[in-house]
Amino acid sequence: MKINLLGKSVVQLRELIKKKEISAKEVFDYFKKRIKRFNRQLNVFLTEAEYKENKNINGELSGIPLAVKDNYCTEEIRTTASSKVLDDFIPPYESTVTQRLINAGYLLLGKTNMDAWAHGSSTETSDYGPTKNPWDLTRSPGGSSGGSAAAVSSYLSPAAIGSETAGSIRQPAAWSGIVGLKPTYGRVSRYGVIAMGSSLDCPGPLTLTVEDAAIILKEIAGNDPFDATSSPKPVEDYSKYLGTKKKYKIGIADEYFDGLDKDVKKEFLNSIDVVRKMGYEIKKINLIHPKYAISDYTIIQRAEVSSNLARYDGIRYGHHRTSFAFEAKRRSMLGAYTLSYGYYDAYYKKAQKLRTLIIEDFKKIFKEVDLIATPTTPITAIKLGEFVKYPFFGELMDKLAEPSSMAGIPGINIPIGFDRNNLPIGMQIMGNYFEEKEILNFAYQFEKETDFFGVIKKGINNYKD
Amino acid sequence: MSRNKLSREEILHLAKLTKLHLTDEEIEKLSEQFGETLDYVKNMDELNTSEVEPTSQTTNLENVMFEDGQKNERRLDYNDALKNTKKKKDNMFVVDRIL
Repeated sequence: MKINLLGKSVVQLRELIKKKEISAKEVFDYFKKRIKRFNRQLNVFLTEAEYKENKNINGELSGIPLAVKDNYCTEEIRTTASSKVLDDFIPPYESTVTQRLINAGYLLLGKTNMDAWAHGSSTETSDYGPTKNPWDLTRSPGGSSGGSAAAVSSYLSPAAIGSETAGSIRQPAAWSGIVGLKPTYGRVSRYGVIAMGSSLDCPGPLTLTVEDAAIILKEIAGNDPFDATSSPKPVEDYSKYLGTKKKYKIGIADEYFDGLDKDVKKEFLNSIDVVRKMGYEIKKINLIHPKYAISDYTIIQRAEVSSNLARYDGIRYGHHRTSFAFEAKRRSMLGAYTLSYGYYDAYYKKAQKLRTLIIEDFKKIFKEVDLIATPTTPITAIKLGEFVKYPFFGELMDKLAEPSSMAGIPGINIPIGFDRNNLPIGMQIMGNYFEEKEILNFAYQFEKETDFFGVIKKGINNYKD
Repeated sequence: MSRNKLSREEILHLAKLTKLHLTDEEIEKLSEQFGETLDYVKNMDELNTSEVEPTSQTTNLENVMFEDGQKNERRLDYNDALKNTKKKKDNMFVVDRIL
């Protein structure tokens, strides 16, 4: 092959394909070759797809191969949510997100590993073994979209689709050193996504650049008659908006600094200095402490998990309930407890009320500032196996993402540097409901200014052709 | 040791409600871990929610209806719906006897 494809973004690949400098099949084969070479050590893909020509050659994603998290139903292609319960499940229909990607001309590269049922933040609750962090194979890539994050940071796929209930896109993006966008709840249809917490679940992209995230979001977003909670608001042209000059006022909340690793704090403050020098106003704000969002999220999510996992009866599809691993049992049962007669008011209803407080808190703050910046995670990637020390590990690792997930507002992770072990650190930018374009625009300007301190390029260069 | 540690009976009751099978080791682990989690979430009581309405849906959509006469494209035909079952008979799912 004449052209060096290593590290090319979706936008760059699209340009090469459009100009016929390379064919869609050649691009697909390039990634297949890389998967063959590196997947064994990283354990990113659970199921690999074969090349299947997409007739749409004039779409926004024509010829672009993407990895998709294994909780999206893909017609005729095995979909497990990383659980043995669905070990041999072949969906008879396509999820709305992947159908829209097909309509846009994409090619499915394969289905990526995740925490089983998306329960976890390290991809270690997968029944098919953990995915390894491409930066350090003894560590976790984060989760639950850990396979999708590792696929992008090691360039086994130029971008990937993940899903987030609270942190499952942003946190693995931070630990794997890439861009990850969680849209507003309802911006992207959940139809055909194996449900975890139905009032929280959000599909979204993991990418190498902000522009790629903007392009993919536009393709997958929008109202869907098959998901009554999807928003009828019109979808905006996010990539066209990038580069718009705006005087953003950025809020920084003290409450999000508790328990931060010192390197995470240092790099975050350094990035805030950069933002200030770029001419943006930084304003100190106060928000409800994330420690309350941990409780709120734990109760609401487990209740919804309990209800969602009840459908796996082993009759219509999948295996018997004895195939559930420990984490799914734990969540289902605690959910059943908090929804039970006698405990409902003390736990579930209380959590629903607290959710209202969190929503009102953000609404009030977004009258004062345009965006909120915080570190994405309190610490960087942990060693594989360490998660079992925490009874609700995921909730702790995702605590800085949980308030925004409870409220349903959007947020993005962008890389901002390294810690003492050379592991990536992420910053998240949150915005008001349906203001993805402002988040993306700001992240884009930051990317232009810093090139994310070389984090993404360095990650890919660890996996040369 | 957690204040709220759940009894073995409580754990078994929850396992029955959720139709899940547990090993003795799992029962022991869960009674301790549920206690720890329930201890933690008590911090919700530190915030005053007495006058607050509960939220179940964040983007304020109301009464989303399926229009009469609209084609239901989601409907699977018999063959597709039965494709993943382990036991079927005459285009029907076979279930365990319950009576």
